[in-house]
Amino acid sequence: MDQLPNLGREQEMLSIMGMDSIDELFSNIPENIRRSNSLPLRAPQTEEEIWHDAQHLLGANVDLDSRPSFLSAGLARNFVPAMVGAMATRGEFLTSYTPYQPEVSQGMLQAMWEFQTMISELVGLPVANVSMYDASTAAAEALTCAVRVNGRKATQKGVVYVSQFIPPHRMQVIENYLQGGDTEIRILEHSGDGHIDLNAAANAVGSCAVYVEQPNAFGVLDAGISNLKSIVGENTAVIVGVDVVSLGLVEAPGNYGADIVVGEGQPFGIGPTFGGPIYGIFACAKKYLRQMPGRIVGQTVDVDGKLAYTLTLSTREQHIRRHRATSNICSNETLIALMGAMHMALLGPGGLEKLARRVAASTEATKRAVLSIDGVELVDPKAANFREFAVILPIDAAAAVSYADAAGINAGFDLGVWWADYGMSRCLLIGCDERTSQSDIEALVSALSQWVSEVSV
Amino acid sequence: MGFRGERVSDIFSFNGAIGAGWAQPEPMLSESEVNATIPDGIRRSKLPAWPNASEPELVRHYTWLSTRNFGIDTGFYPLGSCTMKHNPRLNERIANLPGIDRLHPLQPVHQIQGLLSIFYEMQEMLEICSGMDQVTLQPVAGAHGEFTAMRCIQEYHRDNGESHRDKVIVPDSAHGTNPASAAMCGYQIVEIPSGEDGRIDLEALKAAVGEDTAAMMITNPSTLGVFEPEILAASEIVHGAGGQMYYDGANFNAILGKTDPGLMGFDAVHYNLHKTFSQPHGGGGPGSGPIGVKNHLAAYLPTPLAARREISESDPKGVGDGFWYTWEIPEKTIGKVQQWHGNAGAVVRSWAFYRRFGRELEKMSEHAVLAANYLRHIIMNPDKETQEGVHAMPVNGVPADVVMHEFTLSLSPLVEAVGVTGKDVAKRLLDYGVMSPTLYFPMIVPECLMIEPTETESKEVLDKFAADFLTILGEDPDLVKTAPHTTDVRRVDEVSAARNLILRHPKGTE
Repeated sequence: MDQLPNLGREQEMLSIMGMDSIDELFSNIPENIRRSNSLPLRAPQTEEEIWHDAQHLLGANVDLDSRPSFLSAGLARNFVPAMVGAMATRGEFLTSYTPYQPEVSQGMLQAMWEFQTMISELVGLPVANVSMYDASTAAAEALTCAVRVNGRKATQKGVVYVSQFIPPHRMQVIENYLQGGDTEIRILEHSGDGHIDLNAAANAVGSCAVYVEQPNAFGVLDAGISNLKSIVGENTAVIVGVDVVSLGLVEAPGNYGADIVVGEGQPFGIGPTFGGPIYGIFACAKKYLRQMPGRIVGQTVDVDGKLAYTLTLSTREQHIRRHRATSNICSNETLIALMGAMHMALLGPGGLEKLARRVAASTEATKRAVLSIDGVELVDPKAANFREFAVILPIDAAAAVSYADAAGINAGFDLGVWWADYGMSRCLLIGCDERTSQSDIEALVSALSQWVSEVSV
Repeated sequence: MGFRGERVSDIFSFNGAIGAGWAQPEPMLSESEVNATIPDGIRRSKLPAWPNASEPELVRHYTWLSTRNFGIDTGFYPLGSCTMKHNPRLNERIANLPGIDRLHPLQPVHQIQGLLSIFYEMQEMLEICSGMDQVTLQPVAGAHGEFTAMRCIQEYHRDNGESHRDKVIVPDSAHGTNPASAAMCGYQIVEIPSGEDGRIDLEALKAAVGEDTAAMMITNPSTLGVFEPEILAASEIVHGAGGQMYYDGANFNAILGKTDPGLMGFDAVHYNLHKTFSQPHGGGGPGSGPIGVKNHLAAYLPTPLAARREISESDPKGVGDGFWYTWEIPEKTIGKVQQWHGNAGAVVRSWAFYRRFGRELEKMSEHAVLAANYLRHIIMNPDKETQEGVHAMPVNGVPADVVMHEFTLSLSPLVEAVGVTGKDVAKRLLDYGVMSPTLYFPMIVPECLMIEPTETESKEVLDKFAADFLTILGEDPDLVKTAPHTTDVRRVDEVSAARNLILRHPKGTE
C-alpha cells in the first residue's frame, strides 16, 4: 500500500468532484457483471517480507554460477560487466516509454541509433532495428519479411526453406508466425557431416527465402553457407541466424551475401535469466528495409538545425498501418538492447575478438578432453564447432545428465528431448563459454568417465 | 537536467582502450590453436568498427544520455493506454538475484522449484483476477499475447471443422496491435464503427457477425476510458454467431477486483505485466504479455505451463509449501511463440509487485480510477478566473459522467479559436516538465489527448498538471505553436528523418 500516495485522501478528492464514495466511480459497471466477493488472494506484504520470500524462493533454485555447467543450447552463461547494470538501471532509461516525444527522449534514441550501428557493423549489413523479442521471433519475422519482398517475383510462390538443424522450439515459433500468408515451409536438408547439403540448396532457387544458422543447433560452423547466395540468386533472401559472439572470429554474413541476419543478442548485455528478457537482433540489406518489422531510429535535426534523433519509417508499424502493418510488434526489448550496446561498446573490436577466442578455445579444449573418454564420440567428427558440440554416449544421454547432476555438474543438454525422432536419445549437447574453466572441464570429464565405466559394465 | 546546451557525446569518437578493449582473462588455447577451429573461407576479415572506449568514457557517455531522457522517475507521465506507474525498486533488486538472472530454462525441474512456484503463483493470480481457467506466461508483450491467443482460437475453430471462420471484428477505436495481430494469423479484419458516445454499436455488431466470424477483439474499458455496460450483450451476439470473444487487457488497471473479463463473457484475454503489474517499460520494452483462456481453449496454449502436485516422500526437497512443481504440456498445444518460457525476469518483478497488494489489488484500481476522474474534473471545472484566461476550453472525448482509469479530451475548440493543435499543446507540456499524453488516439476523437495518470501520482501532481495545462490553453498561440523551447532539442524534423534516412553512424563505412 506504500505505492499509493493518495491513500487516506480519497474523501478529500471525491468531495471536490461532488461525490461521496469510490463506488460512484464504478457505477457504469452493471450489477450482473460485478464481482460478488473480494479477490481470494493472499494478504498484502511489506517490502521486507517480499524480499524475504524472494530470497527464499529464488535461493531454492540452482544457479549456473554455483556449479560447473555445460548447458547452453542457444543461451550463453556469460559475464556481463558491472557497468552495464549500473548504467541501464538509471531511472531515466528504466522508467521511460517508447520515445514518441523525441524532444525529451534524445538519450534513448541516440543510444538505440548507436546500437543499430554496432549491430550493422557486427553482421555486415547496412540497417538494423532496435530489437525483436528473441532470436526465434526475429527468424520468423525475417521469413515473413522476405515473403513480402520476394513474393511477387518468386516462382515457388510463398515457399521458404528452413534448415533441418535449427532448434525445434524455433521451428515451432516459425510455424506459428507463418500461419498468416499463403506460405509453405520446406526443409533444407543437411548432409551426413552436419553441413548444409549445397546440392539440395539448389532446390530453393525461385523461393522467397532460405533460413540457415551459423553455427547450427549442434554448434557446427559451416563454410558452405558462404556459397548459398550464389546458389539461390538475387530474388531469394538468404537469412542467417548467428551466434553474435562468434562474429569476432567468423565472417560477418553480410560479407558473404546474406540479405537478413538475425540472432540472439543475449550474450551481449544480460545473463541467461531463464530465457527472458533477452533480445533478438535483426539487420538487413536496403532492399528489405521498408518491409522490416520493429522500431528504427533515424538521425535528423530540430527546427534550429541542431543534431537530433527520432523514430522513423513508422508508417510500417501497427499504430499507423493497423492490419496492413509489417508486424504487430509494439513493445520490444529496448532496455536489453541498451544493455547489449553498453556491453559491445565496452568490449570494442579487440574485446569482441578476444571474447570469441575465449569461447572458441574453451569449446575446443572441452571437446578434446571429452573425446579422451572411451565410448564417447562426436556426432560430427569432422565438423568445426563454436560454443557447442554434440557427442554420442553409450546409452541414453538423460542418464548421463542425471548422473552428472547428482555429482553437482550440469553436463549439457539431452538432445533426445528435441530429436528423439532423429535417433538422438544418446546424444548430449555440450555448451562452453568464456567462463568455462579448466577445473570445470576436469569435473565434467571425471563425472562422464565414471558414468561411462559404470554403465559399460 | 544538468548538462543542457550544445554539448555532444559521440561514442564513436572516443579513443580510449584502443586495441585491448575491456580486459579479459586469456583464452585457454593459443592463437594458432583457436584459428584452427574456424573453417577456411569464413574467417572474419575485418573486425566491426565498434567504439574504442574505456569504462570512464562510457560511464560518462551513458550518464549524459540518461540526462537527456524522460522517465516516470523524471516526472509525471500521463501517457494514456500505457499505464506509466511507479516502478518499485525492490523489484529490480529481486530480478538481479542469481536465482533468476543466472538460471537456464532447460535446467531440470528440481533445480528450479523456486522459480516454478513463482510462475505457478502468477498463473493462478492472473486466473483469479480475470475469471479465466488457465494462464500461460510465455508471450512477452501485449501484441505477442494477442497473436498467441488468436492462434489458439484459430486452432480451436479448425478442430471444430470451422476453418472457414476467417474474419476478426475490431471496433474502430481498437489499439493498432489488435488488427495487426489478427492479420498475422491470416485473418481478415472487419472494423465496426463506434456509436457517437464511443460505445459499441450493437446493431453494427449484429450486422457484422456471421458464419465467417472467428472472433471479436475489444478492450473494456474502451480506449476512450469508458466502461462499456453492454459488453455482455456484445459477447452474446458474437457467441451466438459461433465466434470467440478476445479481451485486450491494456486497460486492465481499471477493473481489478471490481469485475473481470470472465464475467463479461470473454473467452481469452492478455495481460500487460508492464502496465498493470509495473514491469518497467525500459524505453519500449521488455514487456510481458501472458494470456488467460477459458477451458475450451486451454488445450491449445503454448507449451509448457507451470503445474504442481502434492509433494511426496520420494521427491527431492521442494520450497517448503507442500507442493512439487513441474511443467505440463497442453494436449493440443500450438507449440512455442517464444524460444523459452517468456520474459521470466518480468514475471518475477510483477510477482514482487503483486505481493505488495495481494487481495487488495482492488485498491490499486480504485486509486487509478480516482486519479483519472479527479484530474478530468479539475481540468474541466476550473474557477472563473482560470476559465476566462483560456482561449477555448477542451471538450470531453465522451460525455460520460465518470470515466475509468483514463480519459480523452478534444482540443478542437482551441484549433478553431487560435489555431493551436493538440500536438502543439502536447509539445508545450514538455516545457512544463511533464510528458505529453497520448496524442491523436483513438482516432475517433478529433484533436485527441488521452490522459492516464495512474494510481501512483499524488493529488499535488494532478493539481499542478491541471493548472499548467489550463495555463497553456491561454498562452500566446505563437509560443505554443513553436514549443517546446526548453528541451534538449526543439521540435524534431521527422519528415526529413524519413526522407533522408540516416540509420547508423558512418564509422566503418567510409
